[in-house]
Amino acid sequence: METAKIDFSTPRRQASVAIGIILIKFIRMTIRAIWPILISFFIGGRNNSTFEEILGYIVIAFGAFNLIGSVLTYFRFYFHLESGAIVIDKGLLKRTHSNIPFERIQTINFKQNILHQIFNVVSVEIDTAGAKKSEMSIDALTKADAEALRSQIMEGKSQLEPTAEPVQQTTAELLEKLEAEEAEKEPILHLNPIDLLKVGISQNHLRSMGIIFAFVFTTLSQYDENWTELVANQAENYESYLPESGILLFAVTTILVLIISFLFSLINTVLKHFELSLYLQKGGLKVVRGLLNREEISINQSKIQIISWSENPIRRMFRLFTLQIEQASSAEASQLKSKIRIPGCYMEQVRKVITSTFPEEFFRDEPRHRVSILLKYRLFFFVGVVPAMLATVGLWFTAEWEALYALLWIPAHWFMVTLYYKKRSFELNEELLKNNTGIFGNGHDLMQLHKVQAVKVKQSWYQRRKAIATVQIFTAAGHLTVPFIPLQLALELENYLLYRAESDKREWM
Amino acid sequence: MTSIFENLPVEAAELPSIGEIDFHPIEKKYLQVSLISSAIFWSVLILGWLAIVHFTEMEKTLLSYGAGSGGILLLAAFNVIITILAFKKKQYALRQHDIIYTKGLLWHVRTTIPFNRIQHAELKQGPLERLYGLHSLKVFTAGGQTSDLVIPGLREDRALSIKDFILGKTADGDSKD
Repeated sequence: METAKIDFSTPRRQASVAIGIILIKFIRMTIRAIWPILISFFIGGRNNSTFEEILGYIVIAFGAFNLIGSVLTYFRFYFHLESGAIVIDKGLLKRTHSNIPFERIQTINFKQNILHQIFNVVSVEIDTAGAKKSEMSIDALTKADAEALRSQIMEGKSQLEPTAEPVQQTTAELLEKLEAEEAEKEPILHLNPIDLLKVGISQNHLRSMGIIFAFVFTTLSQYDENWTELVANQAENYESYLPESGILLFAVTTILVLIISFLFSLINTVLKHFELSLYLQKGGLKVVRGLLNREEISINQSKIQIISWSENPIRRMFRLFTLQIEQASSAEASQLKSKIRIPGCYMEQVRKVITSTFPEEFFRDEPRHRVSILLKYRLFFFVGVVPAMLATVGLWFTAEWEALYALLWIPAHWFMVTLYYKKRSFELNEELLKNNTGIFGNGHDLMQLHKVQAVKVKQSWYQRRKAIATVQIFTAAGHLTVPFIPLQLALELENYLLYRAESDKREWM
Repeated sequence: MTSIFENLPVEAAELPSIGEIDFHPIEKKYLQVSLISSAIFWSVLILGWLAIVHFTEMEKTLLSYGAGSGGILLLAAFNVIITILAFKKKQYALRQHDIIYTKGLLWHVRTTIPFNRIQHAELKQGPLERLYGLHSLKVFTAGGQTSDLVIPGLREDRALSIKDFILGKTADGDSKD
């Protein structure tokens, strides 16, 4: 077996293509930092030659800085394995020496952007728990090296674990075992092009629209002096048409925005979830996906805290769900990282993930417990009536009678809150808690009771008068809320959750 | 209401209920700490307002000095009343398996953390607290900041003994596994 031959005990550099990859990373970082300047240089600075010159020098300086920086970064980066730990030495001016013991390593993920794919290398991300600096990454290793590194670390880690059988295994036996485990990898999901298209079509296009608007406005405000002028100049040309064709213009703009949003989310989906595969492997799950940026994420089974699945009305036509897995990760790692979203799952695949993660016999339908109707009235009052009133009063000064349109929010919200309340319920058995939510779609969150970290029972002044309470249940990755249930029930739920957390000796993270 | 739990292996009614627990109030001296720190906060705000009126183009009449300060004072008074009334709600309790802290006058919150989920516990002391010889106990879980627990206003010996008790409990749980 090839992995046995690769020796990580002496300090090694990365694969030599790493120079190029680091260079690209550097350039992207600097461009991200200075691109507003570059744009204003192209737009505003054209007729000002000294300005242009200065910027030219700056750009050249940055280029040189990037090139030298990336070469040095490459040559100053070493890693090796040493007595149960991975050691990384790096840094240009300030050398850092990090030593990460295997037992602190949570997962090792691979990522490939387009360059990695061309050169057949991967970037390795090591996620650790507890430490302030929660992540270490190696920019480029050949695929074989990376695989070998991971299996050696994981092997070392499993030897450390006290639960592992204390058998004196030879390396050959271990490798055999590892190979067997690799073979045990069972595919759950492979997103074929048609399903990928379905996922893209059924994305939340309103969200894409929001992202586009946010992007446009932040971009424009980057060079705020120019943009109002720019828009005004452009608008002047159309001004003559405006009175006659105001509605037409509005319609055209709306359709254009819709098409752009649609394409945006479709392309985004294809880029992110291209060739998405989900595997069941020993001790957890594995996700591989992406077109330009290929990523491989391992999810440790015992770290999974909450599994959610949801659909929207379009997805329901395709019978597709979005699966979301929330796993405990180091405190410093971003929230985004600990939430893995897998769109385009059919119910049987969702079921497969759940039953392979949580004890199978407890994943069953339980009676749905409703929450108090007062939740509906409260939401209606604070999200429906009050904002509509405020908006009406606010708009009155500018729009007068047309401000009353804002009041349409009230019936619209009543309709939505009615749907919401109808779907809001929770289910409970001795192992699992399931939350059901949704307005137009449906969402479900499932957690294992013994993974509770903390329980909060909250009561507002209003809730105390009505003897109801809201229970918040915290896990090592996100929390679930059971709102507006009778106080007595809330206390019993709290007691039961605590009892389960305190008496259960199973691993929870 | 107990019907939800009927099919569960343990009757919910048999579990020890939080209602029967003796809650300990935090040290009375901590009220003074809170009041002094809010006095400092509101004074800074008022000074800020006076500075704004004084150093900007605003009309320097008694009205412009007084209106802002008066508004801030009103808020301050409200804040002081809430602080005093809410102080009684700051209570904690230790049970065999968990630690409980309650707070909040208008929005009442009770947080419970099982000992076997505690990652870390530490004592903190701000400058004012040091003057009064008080400590805050911070309890960290893997559940993130929102679920962490801070019990302020503990006497030094008390704070230390609680911390040791908690850490002893968490270590206990680990070694038993």
